[in-house]
Amino acid sequence: MSYLNNPAIVMDNGTGLTKLGFAGNDSPSWVFPTAIATAQRSATKSGGSGASSSTMQNQSAPYFGNSTSATSFNSLASAALMSNNLAGKRGTEDLDFYIGNEALSAAQGPSYSLSYPIRHGQVENWDHMERFWENSIFKYLRTEPEDHFFLLTEPPLNPPENREQVAEIFFESFNCAGLYIAVQAVLALAASWTSSKVVDRSLTGTVIDSGDGVTHVIPVAEGYVIGSAIKNIPIAGRDITLFIQSLLRERGEEDTTLRTAERIKQEYCYVCSDIVKEFNKFDRDSEKFAQFIVENTEKTKRKVIDVGYERFLAPEIFFNPEIASSDFLTPLPTVVDQTIQACPIDVRKGLYNNIVLSGGSTMFKDFGRRLQRDLKGLVNNRIALSESLSGTRSTGVDVQVISHRRQRNAVWFGGSLLAQTAEFKGYCHTKKDYEEIGPEIVRNFSLFNMV
Amino acid sequence: MPAYNSTFAADAQNDRMVGNVVLLPLKTNFRGPAYQANSDYDIIDECLDLFRANSFFKNFEVRSSADRVLIYGILFVNECLSQLRPSTSYNEALKLLTNVALDDFAVPGTPGFPLNNVYSVPVQNHADMDLLKSYIQQFRQELAMRLLERLYMESKEKPSKFWLAFTRRRFMNKSL
Repeated sequence: MSYLNNPAIVMDNGTGLTKLGFAGNDSPSWVFPTAIATAQRSATKSGGSGASSSTMQNQSAPYFGNSTSATSFNSLASAALMSNNLAGKRGTEDLDFYIGNEALSAAQGPSYSLSYPIRHGQVENWDHMERFWENSIFKYLRTEPEDHFFLLTEPPLNPPENREQVAEIFFESFNCAGLYIAVQAVLALAASWTSSKVVDRSLTGTVIDSGDGVTHVIPVAEGYVIGSAIKNIPIAGRDITLFIQSLLRERGEEDTTLRTAERIKQEYCYVCSDIVKEFNKFDRDSEKFAQFIVENTEKTKRKVIDVGYERFLAPEIFFNPEIASSDFLTPLPTVVDQTIQACPIDVRKGLYNNIVLSGGSTMFKDFGRRLQRDLKGLVNNRIALSESLSGTRSTGVDVQVISHRRQRNAVWFGGSLLAQTAEFKGYCHTKKDYEEIGPEIVRNFSLFNMV
Repeated sequence: MPAYNSTFAADAQNDRMVGNVVLLPLKTNFRGPAYQANSDYDIIDECLDLFRANSFFKNFEVRSSADRVLIYGILFVNECLSQLRPSTSYNEALKLLTNVALDDFAVPGTPGFPLNNVYSVPVQNHADMDLLKSYIQQFRQELAMRLLERLYMESKEKPSKFWLAFTRRRFMNKSL
C-alpha cells in the first residue's frame, strides 16, 4: 500500500493542450499539445539508425518545456527530426510514436503522421489516446501508475460509455491504484475558491471556458452541470489570433505570421470599456502604441512590428463579434444571459452571482470587469422592464464575475485542489472496486462536498 | 454592442431638412449654406471619431437623420484614404484631397449613389437639391481638411499608417 502517501496525479486532456502534474502543486508540471505522431505504416524505416543517442538527448531537451500554444509553428521545424533507435532494431512499430511538442516536430519529417486524439473535448481515437496516456505517465511524469490515484477530466455531456472506456484503460492497461473522473466545469468552479471575492465554497455558478477552438458557457448547480442550457460560441483564442493577423496585414507590417500575432495577443492585448474612447486615448497618448520585436531564428536581422489598435480590438470580438465575423453576431454577455435564463428559476441568482472564468482566452486584462458591466446592463434592463410591467419591486440580482490568478489552467488547478484533500481517495473508485464490479462502476462518482 | 450612432439630435421642425437628411451646422471657413456651429464639437468631428470604430461594422441601424450625415461622412473619409499612399507627403495629400472634395459627386438620392435605400430626397425640387448639393460640397471640403490634420498629426512627411490601415475596411459594405 505504498500509494497511500503519494500525491494523486492530475491530468487534464483538452482539445488543444494537455496539462499534467501532481495534486497539491500550484501549476501543472507539463503543458503540451494533445497531439500524437505515429509512424506511417507505408514509410520505410530510414531515419532509425542515423542519429546517435547523444544527439537525441540534446534535441529532446527543449521539447519538454511548457507550451502556451496548441498550434504547431515553423520554428519547431528547424530542429531535426528525432528518431527512435529501438524501433529499428526490434520491429516494435507500436512503440514508435511521440506525443506533445515532440510529436509536432516529428511530424515535420516524412515518416510520421500527426493526429489529435481529442476532438471537441471528447476522445475520438482510443488507441492513440491510450498511447498518449502511456507516454504521459512513463515518459513525462515518470511514475508507477499502481502507486498513484488519478484525477482525470471530462467535458460536460460526456457519454458514460466514454468513462467506461477510460476506466478500462486506466485499470487494465495501466493498473492504476484509483481513479476519479471530474467534469471540467466543476473543477473550474473549485479553482475560483482561491479568489478573495468568493465567500462560500459552493459548486453553483456559471463557467465561461475559453480555450483555443471554442468558448463554452456552462451552468453548474450544486456540482451538477445543467446540460440543456449549455451554449457554445465559435469565437476563441484562434479567432483572436487570426483577427490580429488580418489587422497586421491590412497595415502592411513586415512580419505577419501567426506566431507573431499570437505573441502580440499574449503580451499586449487588453479589454477596453468603449472602443471609440479607446481610439481617442491612442490619439492623445502615443505611448499606447507599442512595438514588438520579432527575433529571427538566425538572429541576424530583427524586425520591428508596430502594435496599434489591435491591442484592444482583438479581445473586443468577444463583446462585438460583428467586427471580425459575419456569421456569428451575438456578444458573449448576451450568450451568458441567455444561458442563465434557460436554467431553472431557483438557481438563476446563484448562477449570476458566481460567474467564473477559465482558460487562456479569458486572461485579457479587464475581461471580467467588462463582462460584468455588460451583463449587469442586460440584467438591470430586464428587471426595470418587469418592474414597470408588474408594478412590484424586485429584490435585484447581483451579477458578479470572478477572475483569479489561476485562470489559465483553472481546470487543472481545481483538480489539484480537490485531489490534495484528505477525502479525495474516499471518492475515488479503486482497482479493487473495479475488479469486483466492472467498468460500469465509473458511471457514477460522488461529488465533493467541500465546506 | 452595435455600431455607434450619431449623438446629434435632429428635429424635423427646427432643423433645416432636405428630404430625410438634416443639414447640421458646421464649424468651417469654406463657403456654403451650412450655419456656423455654436459648439466646439460638430458632426465632422464625430465622423472622424466614429470612423475607425464604425468601419468594422457591416450593419448599421439608421436612427435619426443625423445618422445619414454620419454615414456619408464615414464613407467619404474612406474615399479620401483610398487616394493616399503610405509615402504621400502632407503637401501632396492636401492637393489630392482638395481635388477629391471638389470632384463631381453623386448626391444622395440620385442615380449612382450607392445607398439610396437609406436616403430619400425630393429629386424633383431643384432648389432643395441644389441646397443639398452645395451643403455636401462644403461638408466634403471641411471633412477632408480636418482628416488631413489627423493623418499628419505625427509627421508632415507621411500619413499615419494606423489610419491608412482602414482603407480596405468597408463600412456597411459600401463605398462612394
